[in-house]
Amino acid sequence: MSLIVHKLKSVAAAAITVLLLAGCAGGAGSPAASESASSGTSAGSSSETLIVYTNSNGEGRGEWLTTKAAAAGFKIEIVGAGGADATNKLIAEKNNPIADVAFGLNNMYFEQIKAADAIESFTPSWAAEVEAGLGDQGDSKAYWPLVKQAILLGYNSDKIPADKAPQDWTDLWTKDEFKDRYERVTGLGTATAQLVFAGILTRYKDDSGELGISDEGWRQIEQYFQNGNPAVAKTDLFARIAAGDVDTGQMPSSIIPEREKAFKVNVDVVKPSVGVPFAVEQVALVKGTDKKDQALKFIDWFGSAQVQGEWAQEFSSMPANKAAAEKARPEVVEFSKTLKQQEIDWNFVQENIGAWVEKIELEYMT
Amino acid sequence: MIRLENIEVTFGNFTAIPQLNLEVERGEFFTLLGPSGCGKTTALRTLAGFIDPAAGEVFIDGKAVTRLPSDKRQVGMVFQNYALFPSMTVWENIAFGLRVRKEKPAASDRLVRDIAQRVDLSASQLRKNVAELSGGQQQRVAVARALVLQPKILLLDEPLSNLDAKLRHQLRQQLKELQSEFGITTVYVTHDQDEALAMSDRIAVFNKGVVEQVGTPQTIYDASATEFVCTFIGDSSVLTSDFVSELNRHSDGTLAPGANSYLRVEKASLTPPAGNTDAVPVRGVVVSRSYHGLHSRYTVRCHGSELRLLVKEDGGVHPVPGAEATVYVRPVHVLQYDPQTGEAVGNPALAASRP
Amino acid sequence: MNPTPARTMVRSPFVLFVGVILTWFIAAFLVWPNANVLIETFFPDGRFSGRAAEKLLSSERAMKSLGNSFLLAAALSVTVNVVGIFIVLVTHYFRIRGARILFLGYATTFIYGGIVLAAGYKFIYGDKGIVTALLSDAFPGMDRNWFSGFLAVLVVMTFATTTNHMLFVANALKGVDHQTIEAAKNMGASTWTILRRIVLPMLKPTLFAVTILSFLTGLGALSAPQVLGGREFQTITPMILTFTNSPTSRDLAALLAVILGVATILMLTVMTRMERGGTNFSVSKVSSALEKQKITHPVGNALVHVAAYVLFAIYTLPVALIVIYSFADSAAIQTGQISLDSLTVDNYIRVLTQSSALRPFVVSIVYSAVAAAIAVGGLLFVARLLQKHRNWLTAVFEYLLHIPWILPSALLALGLIISYDHPNPLVGGAVLTGTTVILLIAFVTVKIPFTLRMLKASFASVNSSLEEAGAIMGAGTLYIFRRILLPLVLPTAAAIAALNFNSMLDDYDTAIFLAHPLVQPLGLVIKANTDGAEGAEGVSNTFVYTVLLMIITGLTMYLVYGRARRRDASTAPRNGAPKDAAPKDTVLSKS
Repeated sequence: MSLIVHKLKSVAAAAITVLLLAGCAGGAGSPAASESASSGTSAGSSSETLIVYTNSNGEGRGEWLTTKAAAAGFKIEIVGAGGADATNKLIAEKNNPIADVAFGLNNMYFEQIKAADAIESFTPSWAAEVEAGLGDQGDSKAYWPLVKQAILLGYNSDKIPADKAPQDWTDLWTKDEFKDRYERVTGLGTATAQLVFAGILTRYKDDSGELGISDEGWRQIEQYFQNGNPAVAKTDLFARIAAGDVDTGQMPSSIIPEREKAFKVNVDVVKPSVGVPFAVEQVALVKGTDKKDQALKFIDWFGSAQVQGEWAQEFSSMPANKAAAEKARPEVVEFSKTLKQQEIDWNFVQENIGAWVEKIELEYMT
Repeated sequence: MIRLENIEVTFGNFTAIPQLNLEVERGEFFTLLGPSGCGKTTALRTLAGFIDPAAGEVFIDGKAVTRLPSDKRQVGMVFQNYALFPSMTVWENIAFGLRVRKEKPAASDRLVRDIAQRVDLSASQLRKNVAELSGGQQQRVAVARALVLQPKILLLDEPLSNLDAKLRHQLRQQLKELQSEFGITTVYVTHDQDEALAMSDRIAVFNKGVVEQVGTPQTIYDASATEFVCTFIGDSSVLTSDFVSELNRHSDGTLAPGANSYLRVEKASLTPPAGNTDAVPVRGVVVSRSYHGLHSRYTVRCHGSELRLLVKEDGGVHPVPGAEATVYVRPVHVLQYDPQTGEAVGNPALAASRP
Repeated sequence: MNPTPARTMVRSPFVLFVGVILTWFIAAFLVWPNANVLIETFFPDGRFSGRAAEKLLSSERAMKSLGNSFLLAAALSVTVNVVGIFIVLVTHYFRIRGARILFLGYATTFIYGGIVLAAGYKFIYGDKGIVTALLSDAFPGMDRNWFSGFLAVLVVMTFATTTNHMLFVANALKGVDHQTIEAAKNMGASTWTILRRIVLPMLKPTLFAVTILSFLTGLGALSAPQVLGGREFQTITPMILTFTNSPTSRDLAALLAVILGVATILMLTVMTRMERGGTNFSVSKVSSALEKQKITHPVGNALVHVAAYVLFAIYTLPVALIVIYSFADSAAIQTGQISLDSLTVDNYIRVLTQSSALRPFVVSIVYSAVAAAIAVGGLLFVARLLQKHRNWLTAVFEYLLHIPWILPSALLALGLIISYDHPNPLVGGAVLTGTTVILLIAFVTVKIPFTLRMLKASFASVNSSLEEAGAIMGAGTLYIFRRILLPLVLPTAAAIAALNFNSMLDDYDTAIFLAHPLVQPLGLVIKANTDGAEGAEGVSNTFVYTVLLMIITGLTMYLVYGRARRRDASTAPRNGAPKDAAPKDTVLSKS
């Protein structure tokens, strides 16, 4: 017997067996886990700490929310990840969920998660305060809107006067003065990039066309790539604008004020007649959480006009909650009012975006 | 043929050879002998041109070569591990130097085959990879590789040390034969006294970078010039001053009792040596005996000395341990050294062979 | 070592024990997950789908990128050898003034790589780079964008991937018997002849091995083409990563990965074949240590010195710049205008004082250390068995253990998720997703092929009579292993563990799929802090993290490799270690 014990000790490979058997419930497997302040294991944990997944924790958002929530009696732990990564995680963990709440992801992502059956239908107390068109379009609603974010084409307003600026995305490759002066993406991994293409492609919806898009639509994409100035890894668009490499490029509305300051440039945005795509950040309840009541209470609190208003005030965002909009910064509300939301059939986008991205990667990106 | 004049070799702060003077005659088989770390290999490598001496001159054939690189000195070298090039065949190894000299391929081939034949390497062996050869064959390749360039001098750095005893004996013979056949001046480095005695024309015994004695094998053995040479070469018993006084009492009393005294094991006997009247009988007790077939080794305690000696196993009756015995010793065989300097005393002939 | 029949082999309880564990591990974590991911992608509805192949064949971009990857691989095999051999000779073979300083400069590739390295070169030679500015002052008409495309990628990757030469070729060089060099000198060979005809042929097996590694590095190139390739020279790996993340395009990723994997295996097979022929290492039992050679030709000597120091500058400039930039504000970095007064420690304060800044470091260090220890510790036994017993059974095991080299780590991670996001009897009915163990498993598996090959070679260099001596004195298998073999391979094992440890510290590709959300390793935090999405400070944060990582990896290399080397250089495998290959994933992440 002692020989066997001895072997177990020395055969390091065996250690993993022990780890697997003892630690499969999560946590115990890694020494690092034991020092986790919140002992944030999933099932079986008696702690009332809510695990919140989000892609919207940057620039102090995570810290702000944690503090505010604590004051309101919610103990939360924010786990940040990019939109696509958070989506993959929520789907991967659906049989052993760690998160209780997820927020910040847009319709496209939550639609995927919903299809994978990783979030649960619910109705928050503030359901009536948000525009119905912003959230889940399905019969049972699994995600609800929080913040409206416009995906914009911005240009260097120090260099290009408003009357000379492009009027729409398509101007970029049809007018010579913009050719090679706009930054085009080199990858379609980000939500912003996918929304830009969704905004362009859905204008050319054609049921007989390839992947539901007419040839004309695909020609636009081809032109976009042929005439654009490729993005440079690890170099911010604003830095390139400041350096004079390019004049225009895609950007989500919320980052503009802060980047303008950091890179000392002035940027104005294009307002096409069809409107601009809006990414609406949503909130959802993770299926299988054992803290469902607590999680729902948190969502009711977080989505309320009061908290959303403060959030909007703090981070210059445009809340989806109509009551909260009154508390948002006037210039943001004003700006938001000048933007027309582009009509986009999200179901159509959700069904096809994967194939579109693949086609663009394979055929148009050079 | 070779002259080393006041050579000094230092490695950083360490002085490996303080001052070395040596002369090697043409055609001579000259051996540098000593324990490991004594400076013998350093001396050889200085001669080969791998080490720049801090001071002194190296002459080959009367020409100063101290500043010449190795390949300009016309010396061939066989390394301790043969240093055969593992990525080449036997033929390529031997032909290497010829190719470097840009010898014509046909001429090279003729020279390689010629030398290979002389060292007994077959044509099929020439095509082999060096790793496929036995130790003895590898040695012959190394010798052939050194000799094919027709050097004036052949340097051998412990070429037998990697081999087993039987092969070593056999190759020692072959090496010596090759040397006499080629008639080439050879400098040989070894720590094996047996090898040195059997092969050399003359030997230089090294200790701590200093040459203790230069001489023929017999002089080195029978008339060791220093205590170090005496104890390093051969096998001898230490004699107490009591024992030396006993010898003086029974002879003309020329030995110095205060000196460190030694007696070679084969020089003492249990029977009076025939024809020598100066042998002194000393009484003692047999402590041990070990049987070796050809002979037995005895240890006899007399006058405080543990005297070791050899007795030929010729069928005669010999004493057993515990029995009394008489040991016959000739005072002239006793080697004596000054306890302070280690130099030979009382025997001017010995002192004369010091360099 | 003679072949041992499989049937005899399994009679030993030690073999049986290791074998059972190994079989389970291979089945559960190598075969099952990866078979799952391949089946799911190529047989989506239980029927084979040729969609991926069709799509790829009809995509000009995919074909061109694939071609570029192979072109880069082939070119890199040549250039890395040229530079790598040169720097090894300069630091270990020739007597060069300041060789130690040169060594430290060339060794900078040990401590950083990937996108930061490529960016570092861009800061110097890119359109706004220092060197470009100087050049365009001298030649006003020049194209400021001269440093881009294939040549730029090749140059940067060449200098970035000489790590293997510094490790393995330098080590093999130490095994060259100095007497052979003296013998050649004695016969009149010049410095060049000795190098070409004596020294390099003896390094052949190692050079084969590092050539393969360079080829694989080129094949998996990611960051350098992204940063410097420009429009003309993009490679296939970025495409694989994009497609891996898109559920509907995963079959494309898998197919591309399999193509690269097959190329990898082909190269390995070729290498093994080539290695078999001929003895290249010293035939003697006693060899003398290599002494540094003086270059006698004065002009040649001067040229080599100049070249060595020019290379030194090329190697160290990016590192110096990264360190400087880590103190600069992001606008200054992005626009390339750095002045002395724009340097502050603000970046470090920001990174190190954010809430729980230290935690990801601790998490990553613990994960990497545990994974490195398990991989090396476990494989010590396995490598020993595979090296000692050669039969069909061990051959099968060995091939299976190379699976992680065929698929990129992102796909391996996906395989683990697909297989263990529901209760699975292979792991006692547990669900592994959402636990801390699954990332550890992934870390261990991706390190297996590299670790195995290195350890096997290390065992091969151990004199077999040592083991027999132990057995004769009555020692048991385990005792012999522990007291005799282990101490001999330990320096190599420690060096491998250190390399493994370093390569996992900033892992992103696996962690993003598998990390427990509350136990997030550094790679994820770095990514979150450095991507544009997190604000303008992202770029400065990149440099701060890079410098911090350099400190950790530098320290690891010093603690394990530097000290081990000083303690006993001779126990490191002489010609052995290099039979092998470096981690493909570091190759990917550090390219």
